[in-house]
Amino acid sequence: MEIPYNSTARPDTGLYNGKVGVWLFLASEVMLFGALFSAYVLLRVGAEPGNWSMGLMSKEVGAFNTLILIASSATVVLAWVSLKLKDWNGYRKWKIATVIFASMFLTVKWGYEWPAKFTHYDVTFVDDEAAETVFANVFGQDSYNEECREKHKEIWSARYNIDGKVWDSGSVDTKDKPLDGHIVGYYTENENGDREHHKVGKSFGVYFWSHAFAWRHDKRNDGRTTGAKRDTFREKGVVAVEIEPAHGTWDKHTEKHASVTDRRYAKADDGQATDADGHGAHTITVETSQISRVSSYEPAHSTFFAVYYTLTGLHALHVFGGILVMIYHLMPISRRIYESDPERFTNRIEIIGLFWHFVDLVWIFLFPILYLF
Amino acid sequence: MADEHNAEWYENTFKRMIYWVGGILIAGTAITYVIDKWGVAEKYGLLTAVIFGLTVATIKAATVIVIFMHLKWDWKFKTISLTLISTVLFFIGMMWLTVGSEVKTYESNDGKPGNKDNTWKHGEHAVGINKPGDVEKPEE
Amino acid sequence: METTTQPDVAHEDHHESLDDHGHDNQHFLTKYVFSCDHKVIGIQYGVTSLIFLLVGFLLIMAMRWQIAKPGEPLPIMGAVLEHVYAHNNAGEPVFKGGVMSSDAYNQFGAMHGTIMVFLAVVPLGFAAFGNYVVPLQIGAPDMCFPRINMASYWSFFLGCVVMTVSFFIPGGAAQAGWTSYSPLASVIPTDGQSFWLIGMILLITSSLLGAVNFIATIIQLRAPGMTWFRMPFFVWAQFITAFLLLLAFPPLEAAGIMQLMDRVADTSFFLPSGVFDTGSTPMAVSGGGSPLLWQHLFWFLGHPEVYVLILPAIGMVAEILCNNARRPLWGYKVMVAAVFVLGFLSFIVWAHHMYLTGMSAKVATFFQTTTMIISIPSVILLTCLFMTLWKGSIRFNPASMFALAFLPMFGIGGLTGLPLGFSFTDLHLHDSYYVIAHFHYVVAPGTIFAMFAGIYFWFPKMTGRKMNEYWGKVHFWGSLIFMNIIFFPMFLQGFAGLSRRMSDGGATYSLVQNPDITSGALSELIIRLNEYITLGAFGMLLIQVVFIVNFFHSIRNGEKVENDNPMEATTLDWQTPTPPPHGNFTKEPEVHGEPYAYSVPGAEKDYIPQTDPNRPKTA
Repeated sequence: MEIPYNSTARPDTGLYNGKVGVWLFLASEVMLFGALFSAYVLLRVGAEPGNWSMGLMSKEVGAFNTLILIASSATVVLAWVSLKLKDWNGYRKWKIATVIFASMFLTVKWGYEWPAKFTHYDVTFVDDEAAETVFANVFGQDSYNEECREKHKEIWSARYNIDGKVWDSGSVDTKDKPLDGHIVGYYTENENGDREHHKVGKSFGVYFWSHAFAWRHDKRNDGRTTGAKRDTFREKGVVAVEIEPAHGTWDKHTEKHASVTDRRYAKADDGQATDADGHGAHTITVETSQISRVSSYEPAHSTFFAVYYTLTGLHALHVFGGILVMIYHLMPISRRIYESDPERFTNRIEIIGLFWHFVDLVWIFLFPILYLF
Repeated sequence: MADEHNAEWYENTFKRMIYWVGGILIAGTAITYVIDKWGVAEKYGLLTAVIFGLTVATIKAATVIVIFMHLKWDWKFKTISLTLISTVLFFIGMMWLTVGSEVKTYESNDGKPGNKDNTWKHGEHAVGINKPGDVEKPEE
Repeated sequence: METTTQPDVAHEDHHESLDDHGHDNQHFLTKYVFSCDHKVIGIQYGVTSLIFLLVGFLLIMAMRWQIAKPGEPLPIMGAVLEHVYAHNNAGEPVFKGGVMSSDAYNQFGAMHGTIMVFLAVVPLGFAAFGNYVVPLQIGAPDMCFPRINMASYWSFFLGCVVMTVSFFIPGGAAQAGWTSYSPLASVIPTDGQSFWLIGMILLITSSLLGAVNFIATIIQLRAPGMTWFRMPFFVWAQFITAFLLLLAFPPLEAAGIMQLMDRVADTSFFLPSGVFDTGSTPMAVSGGGSPLLWQHLFWFLGHPEVYVLILPAIGMVAEILCNNARRPLWGYKVMVAAVFVLGFLSFIVWAHHMYLTGMSAKVATFFQTTTMIISIPSVILLTCLFMTLWKGSIRFNPASMFALAFLPMFGIGGLTGLPLGFSFTDLHLHDSYYVIAHFHYVVAPGTIFAMFAGIYFWFPKMTGRKMNEYWGKVHFWGSLIFMNIIFFPMFLQGFAGLSRRMSDGGATYSLVQNPDITSGALSELIIRLNEYITLGAFGMLLIQVVFIVNFFHSIRNGEKVENDNPMEATTLDWQTPTPPPHGNFTKEPEVHGEPYAYSVPGAEKDYIPQTDPNRPKTA
């Protein structure tokens, strides 16, 4: 039994089955991403001052990924045109280019962007006094004076995409304006009160570290043990953490990065943490008793990162699915399908192309709303 | 329907269009990026920046839909475009209704009946319990 | 096409012209289990959803016992459940001593709603009947994408498995209600809610695949001559339903993903700042989320979902009433227009479920207005169905009796919804038993009666045998009486102020037990009604046994149909061999006229099949 209109168009509708199907599917996809976009709008409009951490994104990486995806969108339509011109080799060439571009996109996203965020921490403080002590150290001042305050304001406003008014209105306490950097080590204390230094691996297993250090009260801390039980600082007996600036040395910091701007900060080091890599010269040690929350730039960091990971994760899954289908369309079996029924195969390529353009469309909107404005 | 075109059309006209659209997309991305670096949000306000960014994105999206997804030559171009546009309008309308009304009450609580909404606001906290450190403070 | 084909012979001889991979020599697994045939998939959906209809009913039976006799061990099942059912996080059985704890009550309540809506009624009305009947009625050989159709069923099946398994994991099933409001659902410490979300994502995927398939099939695979306005009304109803599923379900999928992120990755999509867990420490999450966002996204699905439940039912009732009243459908085009309007409006009424969330008054005004407008097309549909009966010579069989009972029952359900559509009356009635009575009148004696009618009506086409008519009528009268015994008193309880979701059935507020309480007091009568309702529910269970026995007995031993069109129907689904073979039609059908050519003046018989080219000019 053959389903009619699989490869030829139905006369009165002018469409073949697959095309109707894919447009309907895309309509539901529009609703799926539309719901997430409206969640973005609602959460952003309702965000408290200083809690929309969009300034932390790397615009260059986002722009680069946009260009790659645009290129792949052009190559995928060129592949289809080649098939329309009965040019299998041209099709192969453009399709392989598409797969390569798509893989580059995913490599940048999953291989660089996300891991870089998982190793980057924000630390907020229990009270203003603790925060001011640390920031005075960070900015190489003796106290949290006017100069220190100005510098802090400049950095913090840029990070959270807000103007100075919020700072001046005092609606956010100093303790909630985080210090950021990589956590490179931590201290534990034994019964005698001696401190022991532990190094934290930065590249390997970053994700697990980011979770082990997510210091928030365990949601399931009422003695019940189902669900994801997290290690907390307290359970690990951590008394202090050692933080390093996010980009190697302090002076490489751009103005948008919170931690620390110049070498004067080295003064803050108490000498305990010096190790073979010379971390001690640049790091700062913060007592856990001063910390209210430690979080890497993981989904739990803030609602912005929650939306960011959900949207880009869902989008990346679509990219991944598209890559799998396109690889199938390059395998020998597809050549055989093409030779037995070229028109039907061309239609299949058109359909995956339409899907791919939709994925590109979503990214066209994700780029400005997640990276730029 | 795109099928009505001959090979020559694909070879000459359509391929050239694809390169043109690719160029427009790259240019759009570059413009958005440069304008952002130039500091449109700081100079003209966040709203201007958002409108600008979304306009460029919409133009890019439109070229992708019309040329890359070859809707221009497809079945009932007008019907589909109208559907898409009305969907967007519906989306904006619903967002204006639900989110918009919340924002307005948040910003200007002018005390008129029906305009005032004290029960729930975005970003509002109960006094004294909003941050982890504040809990211990007794209310006075 | 009045061929008298025996069911067994029908399989053999209709393949030559249609086949490139016939089903005849296929393995049992590919033929009946992993089948791509829309009829097999329809039956798979039907059987699965009927099983879950029973499961959902048994859950509520246990809850009804607890409401009527709070704190008393469940008879018989209590001892079993104590050992079989999950333990809570403290390590104690949820059914300790056979008594239903509040945890168990919450779990059963949440899962009753979920199972009834997503695992029973939607798959039965939309997927089962839609899959079986729609391709037949439009003269298609199969669904447009048979393999996607199979994927849709198996995705649904996986969703069912996840939901079922969640009862037996430590801590038990989801317990935040079928609406899963955050922050409660986000912070509940057991894993049932995560299972619920994963199950929902699978079910939604299944619905999306199904919806795409239905719409594409109806657009692309109509037989020659089957123009849009020659389609039976049931196909129109399914067409709009498919659009509702296609466009309304993705937002819930998005919301489900976000809630799963809240639970697994500790994000704060739905957690505002300053949320407390148990105890006095605020939860150290980032905060900044919006509980209202969940409700908006949930009800953006939730309201169209109501029409997903009711539209296939109205479609079926229209088919069955026309057939049994021997009258054309009154106002066919008006009804199609009404369904279109209903479909569109159902997207802009969702916030009438949320009057108590503190939305601003402007938003409430908008949604009250649209809610009142949406009752117009519903009334048009109901009126047209009543008018169809006018001057008809109605044949009374179980199918038509269930379809007839649908009309007043759905009417009661719809009219009692009006007070809930206004924010000022809703303030009093919200979350009371009145709400339960209202939507159960729409869904239980409404939709489920229509499903029963459909089963009695199409059973001969599916099996070649009829269900026993006498026991069918017993089933009908029993169901009608007990349904009303169950749900009518709930209106009174709701007016009196009895709240939903109280595991003691309101005993806390009973004036008899607590003479001192000053507010929310419930009189003895209101509390006593609980017991009568529970008795009614047991009666309901007994009467369903009649149906189950009749159903299985008739598959093998029912009276054989005398020809392919025992109901003397006009539509294409009756112009096929019985049961229809793979590929459905012996030769491609050609449609020559309107779907409801009953009692046409000047015709030989009182019906003219759509395939009949010799018809009087008027038809």
